[in-house]
Amino acid sequence: MRVNPNYTSDMVNLMDQAQEAENNAVQELSTGRRVNLPSDDPAAEAAMIGENSQSAAVDQYTASSDSLTDVLNTANSTLDSVTTLLQRAVSLGVEGANGTMNQTDLNSIAVEVSGIQSQVLSLANSSYAGQYLFGGTASGTTPYVADPSNPTQIDYAGNDEQNQVQIGTGLSVASNLPGSSIFSQSGSNVFDALQSLVTALQSGDSSSISSAEDSVSNSLNAVDTAQVFYGNTVNELTTNESYLSQEKLNITTYENTLVAADTATAATDVTQAETVLNATIAAAAQINQQANLLNYIQS
Amino acid sequence: MGLTADLNVSVQSLLAATESMDVTTTNIANQNTPGYARRTVVLEESAPSGGDGSTTGVDVKAIQSMRDTVLDLSINAATSQQNLSDTVSSSLSPVQTAFSDTDTGSIGATLDSFFSALQELSTSPADGSLRSDVLTAADNVASSFQSTASVITQAQQQADQAVVQETSDANSLLQQIARTNGEITTAQNLGQSTNSDQDQLSNLLTQLSAIMDYQTVKSSDGLTLTTSNGTPLVVGSTAYALTNAVNTSGFNDVYANGTDITSTIQGGTLGGDIQTRDQTLATLATQLDQFAYQFAQAVNNVQTAGSDVNGTAGVALFDPPDTTSGDATGAAASISVALTSGSQIAAAASGGASGDGSNLTNLIDLQNQSIISGDKPEDAFSNLTFSIGNTISQANSDSTATGNILTQLQNQQSSIEGVSLDEESSNLLLYERSYQAAAKIISTVDTLMGNVLDMGVTDPGY
Repeated sequence: MRVNPNYTSDMVNLMDQAQEAENNAVQELSTGRRVNLPSDDPAAEAAMIGENSQSAAVDQYTASSDSLTDVLNTANSTLDSVTTLLQRAVSLGVEGANGTMNQTDLNSIAVEVSGIQSQVLSLANSSYAGQYLFGGTASGTTPYVADPSNPTQIDYAGNDEQNQVQIGTGLSVASNLPGSSIFSQSGSNVFDALQSLVTALQSGDSSSISSAEDSVSNSLNAVDTAQVFYGNTVNELTTNESYLSQEKLNITTYENTLVAADTATAATDVTQAETVLNATIAAAAQINQQANLLNYIQS
Repeated sequence: MGLTADLNVSVQSLLAATESMDVTTTNIANQNTPGYARRTVVLEESAPSGGDGSTTGVDVKAIQSMRDTVLDLSINAATSQQNLSDTVSSSLSPVQTAFSDTDTGSIGATLDSFFSALQELSTSPADGSLRSDVLTAADNVASSFQSTASVITQAQQQADQAVVQETSDANSLLQQIARTNGEITTAQNLGQSTNSDQDQLSNLLTQLSAIMDYQTVKSSDGLTLTTSNGTPLVVGSTAYALTNAVNTSGFNDVYANGTDITSTIQGGTLGGDIQTRDQTLATLATQLDQFAYQFAQAVNNVQTAGSDVNGTAGVALFDPPDTTSGDATGAAASISVALTSGSQIAAAASGGASGDGSNLTNLIDLQNQSIISGDKPEDAFSNLTFSIGNTISQANSDSTATGNILTQLQNQQSSIEGVSLDEESSNLLLYERSYQAAAKIISTVDTLMGNVLDMGVTDPGY
């Protein structure tokens, strides 16, 4: 068979291929990614879209957990203050009920309890970032206000609703506890209890003072019990955040296996392509110099 | 046997050697001419001359082109195929970046941000700045749909412009082919050599195969070219004009003498541009429209079921779609955010308090629902990523595979048709010697004849 006399096109092809292989390897090294475009590895890119989405979700779950933790901690420390105030009211009630005080002293205790009541009221109307903490989902309305027809009566203007916030795939936590489950539970209304203590102290009747002190004590327990919600939820968020950071790590690791450059292989590819390229060029030069009959039949 | 016969034979030899050298010269001259197939001289013994027929000279029987037409056809077919793959790959390349996972403005990325903004809002549903964030994120989703749709349209328009250019190029090639065809037939009828015309025809056919695929049939009046389904392009010396006409999609169809041949062109750059424009990108555009439409519809449905921060019933977040018509055409290019204030986001259930986030849960849930033609939004996007990536990657590997076949065919072609300088150089030596020898015979015969004429002359004068 006759030999192809045009070796150049073959060589150009070889050089093209070597050049392309080198370019790919260099790009892989410089970007740190094996897959830079969907066509590089369609399946890996499609999977990356999903992983990116997962990763964004995990980031958001973490951010939501952070935001919630701030809100819940604020609410929790507000309730700490309420508890302290109520404890003070209980001890004032115990003092007033032991029968050793004259009416003047009882009246001044009544003034202090009344002060406690308005402090608790102001704490119950606490807000965070402009949103009332204890009004249920009616976060734009002042939750506790004096009844217009009976100023000593404190009415609840909020609702009994809770919001749910997603902090993981299929995992949600309640982000608030309505005041109706803290301050104004039926049978243990903080404001009513404090008001009854004020009234009893003003009346000077030891047994009324004692029973009013019992109600305050009851409502203190109710607040304490409710407060557990905040502690528990914050704990759950903390645990969840460390789980999320582990999940984030898993996603990143998986993403790397999908698209990251194999540096060692890429570096070897560069060298290999370079070698092929040089060898081809050298061969071409060699052939061009010698392998031609015309060089021999001249002269 | 006779001196005169020797003289005649030698003259024939001189002529044969000259003609052989002419062929060698032509071969060397056209070593790099596209379409040229090396020629060889076919010599044969001529009719005996001289009284006893003992002296026979040489005749140039023919000058033969070493053309392998079957191989040429295979090369042209492979060229068509490779150009199609290359065109598909290069026209889709600008589009695929919009579907890359690294594009932070992609539909996928903006959808992620949209759902993240909704999640963040759920931590404080009445918060004004978080509500604004959701609106911004929704705006970004709309923009990414719009820009992706525009990238697709641009790529389609570019392909369309290429179709027009390539139609005109193919048209002029077809005319040249028809003309060459006619010249070949005329030359054949006159018994003249068709080698040069055949070379030119071969070159034209190769050029045409880069633009489009075709079929050839040899007949008495030259080559007949048709499309893959038999619509004539060139018959004898007649070329059927290729023209463009704008179709209902606003793109140029290709007509051969009034017949729409657009969908029958399945090779070459023209085939690649048509395939990209009318199939790959058209499908992608439709899918994107469906995506935008169904996404907007799903969000709007949830939005209108809830109440905004003021307790007012929610209104559609995205514009369009027109939910009554159900027609998604153009949805991706025109989707926009209809709300003007974050307060209008219906985070609350219908009639819910301002801080209620129960409808938000439904909005967030959309990311896990199969709302886009049976897929979750993110999956719908990653399917598109896979689809376009795979089309390009397939085209690239097709191109490589066809390229390898093509290289082999071209090597084979070159080994048959290619001019070898070594071969021509050695032929040149051969013909030179042959010429010298024939000339030597002539001078010898001349001397001998002189001797004969001088017989008996005392002083021949030289």
